[in-house]
Amino acid sequence: MFDWFMNPEGPMVLVVILIKIIALVMPLMLGVAYLTFAERKVIAYLHVRVGPNRVGPRGWLQPIADALKLVMKELLVPSAANRYLFMLGPVMAIAPALTAWAVVPVGEGMVIADINAGLLFLLAMTSMGVYGIIVAGWASNSKYAFLSAMRAGAQMISYEIAMGFALVGVLMAAGSLNLSQIVMAQQGSILHWFWLPLLPLFLVYFISGVAETNRSPFDVAEGESEIVAGFHVEYSGMAFAVFFLAEYANMILIATLTALLFAGGWLSPFQGIPVLEGLFAWVPGTIWLLLKVCVFLFCFLWFRATFPRYRYDQIMRLGWKVFIPVTIVWIFVEGAAVLAGLGPWFD
Amino acid sequence: MRPENYEAVNHPPSNEFELFFGPNHPGIEGNYALKVKLNGDQVLAARADGGYLHRGFEKLMEGRLWIQNIALVPRICVPDPVPMEVCYSLAVEELGGITVPERAQWIRVLQLELSRIAAHLFTFGGHAATTGMYSNMYWGVADRDQILDLFEELSGGRVYHIYNIPGGVRRDIPAGYLERVTRTLDYIESRLPDYDNLFFTNQVFVQRARGIGAMSQEQALEWGVTGPNLRATGLAFDVRRDDPYLVYDQLEFDIPTEQAGDAWARTLVRRQELVQSIRIVRQVVERLPHVGGPIRALIPNPLAWNLPAGEVYTRVESSKGELAYYVVSTGGDKPYRVHVRGPSAMHAVQVLENLTAHARLEDIAQIMFSLDACPPEVDR
Repeated sequence: MFDWFMNPEGPMVLVVILIKIIALVMPLMLGVAYLTFAERKVIAYLHVRVGPNRVGPRGWLQPIADALKLVMKELLVPSAANRYLFMLGPVMAIAPALTAWAVVPVGEGMVIADINAGLLFLLAMTSMGVYGIIVAGWASNSKYAFLSAMRAGAQMISYEIAMGFALVGVLMAAGSLNLSQIVMAQQGSILHWFWLPLLPLFLVYFISGVAETNRSPFDVAEGESEIVAGFHVEYSGMAFAVFFLAEYANMILIATLTALLFAGGWLSPFQGIPVLEGLFAWVPGTIWLLLKVCVFLFCFLWFRATFPRYRYDQIMRLGWKVFIPVTIVWIFVEGAAVLAGLGPWFD
Repeated sequence: MRPENYEAVNHPPSNEFELFFGPNHPGIEGNYALKVKLNGDQVLAARADGGYLHRGFEKLMEGRLWIQNIALVPRICVPDPVPMEVCYSLAVEELGGITVPERAQWIRVLQLELSRIAAHLFTFGGHAATTGMYSNMYWGVADRDQILDLFEELSGGRVYHIYNIPGGVRRDIPAGYLERVTRTLDYIESRLPDYDNLFFTNQVFVQRARGIGAMSQEQALEWGVTGPNLRATGLAFDVRRDDPYLVYDQLEFDIPTEQAGDAWARTLVRRQELVQSIRIVRQVVERLPHVGGPIRALIPNPLAWNLPAGEVYTRVESSKGELAYYVVSTGGDKPYRVHVRGPSAMHAVQVLENLTAHARLEDIAQIMFSLDACPPEVDR
């Protein structure tokens, strides 16, 4: 197995991959930091208040200050906790959240691992995130954290299935599991993007995504007025920050995936429109993707300000009794459409 | 907190466990605790555990002059202080045989109803926050601030007004005050549709609140439930109409009721009471300029004021339910005994225990807020 490494080009490939990873992860971490800032600002304006505006010009250094504060705080481990699992929890939460980005293209050909089983890899990775929560909740040896871990587990099994079925629909429409090819299959115009033919699946996927990232109105695993922040109630300092990073990295991931799978990824929304297409031809695809991701991220924040939290049995009911039937029915409808070669999407 | 301490207790295998819900819990109003016994998420039994806010008001009052206690009573329940002042003043006036001038009575009603609107806005906010929606809380607190501005202009205090004194009120209303009251009411009325869209007709909230913490009318009567919580079970009982005080018998207002008796019905009753309170204040604004006369009856030197011996029981309708003062005088310059019959003392102990007994863990905070219980008043 060392043949590859002995090959003079082998180490070079490794270096290139490392550079790619850093080029992806650094902006991602910065994005996470400023997503927290955006969240506080957006929600503040929806609440008719101003939000953070003290640190730096108009509060722009707030996330940096937050990060510094968390880094410098003491890391407390409860004496009744299982020390090793307690430390493993945050790692298990953040690892899949970052690993999943390996197969996510952020522009045409801009992907670390252009593998054909990309979608499958994503499903595996996004499902792994819940283990971090369960392990953290269990290892904390706290009743609130434990309740939260149970809730996270129950929520995950209710939503993974609907989410998986929604992705099956995408797979059928695109005929590929490779994310770049899925985006390419949506070429044509804004009406060729999969949100239109797969509208129910698009909605189910996005809502399931909100549920999977434990965001309001599905934030029962945190539920601060019920179980006081749940699984990370015992965490402090950097360990808490890592959970935070994982949650927001997951949010960005879900928003990016929704943009890639259903909203044309890096394709211009003006494709196929005579004058506008030429006018905006200079805009790089990554910018379009970024804009689309921002729209979906804004939805995440908007939901949080306008919806009360669902009760956890209501979430399970929604997952099992509404989303899964909807996705199954639509997969059959889609199958018929593919058989019939219904244009312009399935021909 | 050592692991071996945990192992020392040899529990039989069971799914049941005890959880301390409070006293420092974000879902609990003020410092109040519930010890709940859980089976999974299902609450098997709940035990109210108060006392964290006990400041001994009833005892403190025995050591102060009749007039000094006015500065003490609004602190009993912070979000809704005016009924406390008015009810205590009514008790002292009844003991001393003082007739309050009519103008003071109208000003008191104005204040009482403004306080009710402010308290209800505050409660909705807290209730929404227990379900994780903070927008309503921030909106409610911001709109309540407009009413606090009115209070500040009138009395100098935003929360503790110390404005109603035995014999009347401290000052007359400032020039142009009634126009500003009308403007504030117009503003709050224009905001109500927004609240409806965000909160009262929000389907997620309706699903969360419907059927939660339901009680029947018989249970409500048995447990001493009053106010909006009682009216939510279908009984139109309101001290303002059934035992009128001040000038409520000259005012027109409806008593909104609901039938279901659950958290959703209680919220709806309060939502409709906002409209009724605005209606009452508008009538007061219309009538007040035509009511002349003094704002205060003459009282003896308050620092050497011996009230005749006797005992009185006065009650008013606060935003949370029936509030009553039982005051005993032995002829001295201080009360012999003051007992506060606070509505929250009924709602937050017995009723809360009973209603949470078969609820789920998620709904405990919601039930507490839908009962509009005020922990400082429970402990007094």
